[in-house]
Amino acid sequence: MRPDLPLLQAESLSREFDLPGGGIFARKRRLEAVSEVSFSIGRQEVLGLVGESGSGKTTIGRMVMRLLPPTRGRILFDGVDLTALSGRALRAQRRRFQMVFQDPYASLNPRMRVREIVEEPLVVHGIEPDSSSRRDRVARLLERVGLSSRDMERLPREFSGGGRQRIGIARAIACGPELLVADEPIASLDLSMGAQIINLFSSLVDTDAMSLLFISHDIPMVRYLSDRVAVLYRGRIVESGPTRDVLDDPRHPYTRLLAEGTLPEAGEAAPSNAGSEPGPTGLCAFLPRCDRALPECRLAPPPRLSEGEVREVLCHLPRGESSWSPVTLLSQGSPSDVPATPSR
Amino acid sequence: MGKEALLRVENLTLSLKTREGEIVPVREVSFSLSKGEAVGLVGESGSGKTLTGLSLLGLFPPGSRIAGGSIFFDGEDLLALPEGRLRTIRGQKVSMVFQEPQSALNPVLTVETQIREIYQSHTPLSGEEISRRILEGLRAAGLPDPLTVSRSYPHQLSGGMRQRVMIAMALALDPLLVIADEPTTALDPTVALQILALLARIRQRSGQSLLFISHDLSHVRRVSDRVLLMYAGRIVEEAPSARFFSLGPRHPYGRALLASRPEGGILTRKEAPLQAIGGQVPPLWDLPPGCSFAPRCSRADALCTSTLPPWNGGEGERVFCHHPDESPLGAPVHAA
Ligand SMILES: Nc1ncnc2c1ncn2[C@@H]1O[C@H](COP(=O)(O)OP(=O)(O)OP(=O)(O)O)[C@@H](O)[C@H]1O
Ligand SMILES: Nc1ncnc2c1ncn2[C@@H]1O[C@H](COP(=O)(O)OP(=O)(O)OP(=O)(O)O)[C@@H](O)[C@H]1O
Ligand code: SF4
Ligand SMILES: [Mg+2]
Ligand SMILES: [Mg+2]
Repeated sequence: MRPDLPLLQAESLSREFDLPGGGIFARKRRLEAVSEVSFSIGRQEVLGLVGESGSGKTTIGRMVMRLLPPTRGRILFDGVDLTALSGRALRAQRRRFQMVFQDPYASLNPRMRVREIVEEPLVVHGIEPDSSSRRDRVARLLERVGLSSRDMERLPREFSGGGRQRIGIARAIACGPELLVADEPIASLDLSMGAQIINLFSSLVDTDAMSLLFISHDIPMVRYLSDRVAVLYRGRIVESGPTRDVLDDPRHPYTRLLAEGTLPEAGEAAPSNAGSEPGPTGLCAFLPRCDRALPECRLAPPPRLSEGEVREVLCHLPRGESSWSPVTLLSQGSPSDVPATPSR
Repeated sequence: MGKEALLRVENLTLSLKTREGEIVPVREVSFSLSKGEAVGLVGESGSGKTLTGLSLLGLFPPGSRIAGGSIFFDGEDLLALPEGRLRTIRGQKVSMVFQEPQSALNPVLTVETQIREIYQSHTPLSGEEISRRILEGLRAAGLPDPLTVSRSYPHQLSGGMRQRVMIAMALALDPLLVIADEPTTALDPTVALQILALLARIRQRSGQSLLFISHDLSHVRRVSDRVLLMYAGRIVEEAPSARFFSLGPRHPYGRALLASRPEGGILTRKEAPLQAIGGQVPPLWDLPPGCSFAPRCSRADALCTSTLPPWNGGEGERVFCHHPDESPLGAPVHAA
């Protein structure tokens, strides 16, 4: 344990995918789904990750979980570079971070009963080897997510969408992870059940010292639960900082859109989603939609500016303001002096 | 009523064999839907919304049986139709945006192939015309790069992109009725609003009807003319959307549900826990004899525990409760 370090540090993570081609002779096109993303999550901290559909949130979550290798960049978990681990060393770390998947049903083995699904991580990691106390533990987990011990012998398909989502949550918290990546964990739940799950997360964080990466489209819930928030647009973090500051006084025009939940013109669908294809321009990806663009937005890539080392924005707009200054790249690579705030 | 009913569901009751014995996840469900109307179906997780929606397509899970009731759709008795006729109706006249797109899409076929199949089995259109419509449909569903999406396999798309593909598929044949089961869960607010606007446009243009199943009450409020509230397999309230959201639901469950939101973003987790409804949803194999909500209800009395409530009111505005809450809602409902 390195209590002096943030639990998780993601440094300049990028991930490219091959775009489906137009034929065997067509030039392969690549999509940079995540570009140069850096953030950290402190112990007992909740980082909200928001952003439009297709902006790379799940991809980031999967890289953090080591389910998908980054194309570039590093992930330090408790000071250890996860991207360099494999085999037994990686397996030993696995119980310390867990994920709640966005598509619950697809992430559950349809042939396994709920009890087997939830106890699997306990078995794999040799926690609770005694089968009857393991059973008790599974029962308690199910109750915590609003299911009942009588659900243990049922199959995933016998549950409603929200039921499956909660099976996934019970599984993810089964072995008491230090970091939970929760990808849209309450999207299929009714308001009351959603509230129960959010209360559960709060107590895991505030009482059991878990850290949480909370991926969600539900802005009011992000505001309620998260200590800090990072806003993703086409694979880049365009704004980050303490949740209240960012959502009450958004500086990036996209954050403003999210925070206000404004209705777009009822005309054509605005262009949205997908990371940027690595292109020559490097100009702001939001430019085509931006109603506040300055002349320099069409000339140069947006600078990364910071305010008081706690807020950051990737945008030309605050440039003239004295409290905002360019982020220096120097802090990179000296993790010991990086506080639990986003770097770069 | 007055308006032409496109769909009329009467006392639909579905029973299912499980290890705990026979359960009835959909119980005496009645409602109707006119041409061009949008109805929101909301309620507790596990209350039977998806099963109700699926039954309108004639889809029933294994081990289930219709224990009673009828479904009339566009003049036909759906429950009496042979499978061949049902298959024609599905897609052409009724379609569904499934709740979990990743499981509903075929993982080994590209998006293009899957949508093409829909057109090929239901229309005489030429291959070229089909290609054109596929791209147009994906674009209308808010996917800015339809060509790339159409060539992708489902796992190459994000959750919200898959959801929009599902929406494009459901709208492909311009059906009379669309059942959209949680169509916006994976969409960010701005894209979600685009989808709602799209559904509204189609409704105005071609008189399509919509059954909109969602936990997002701000979306339900925005799209629906009427709201149906479900709890433990039953519809427990029906109300015009405007009334439901401005004056508040009359059913105590609806009231409690609205109170579970972090209010107007004033609170954070450090300040107070969220107000979940106390107690547990009763298991379907062990429902209390009276009102299913009684064990959790603040207004419940001996009558509620022992006797099924009556329907108060008539079609369009009714509540299944002994002691409906008629007081107007204090604070305005969140508009998030
Ligand atoms: N395995 C893959 N192969 C190719 N492209 C992929 C793959 N996984 C993701 N992508 C692409 O990467 C981009 C980001 O996807 P991701 O799932 O991370 O988005 P997201 O922010 O989670 O969106 P949503 O809110 O819709 O779930 C998308 O354009 C998607 O098509
Ligand atoms: N195949 C099945 N076997 C046994 N029980 C089932 C089956 N399918 C659904 N159920 C049960 O029927 C009830 C209703 O399920 P349904 O999927 O309709 O709920 P829902 O209202 O759509 O919930 P959610 O909002 O969580 O999606 C649930 O309690 C579920 O567990
Ligand atoms: S019938 Fe009684 S228990 Fe049921 S909701 Fe109404 S007041 Fe509550
Ligand atoms: Mg996602
Ligand atoms: Mg459902």
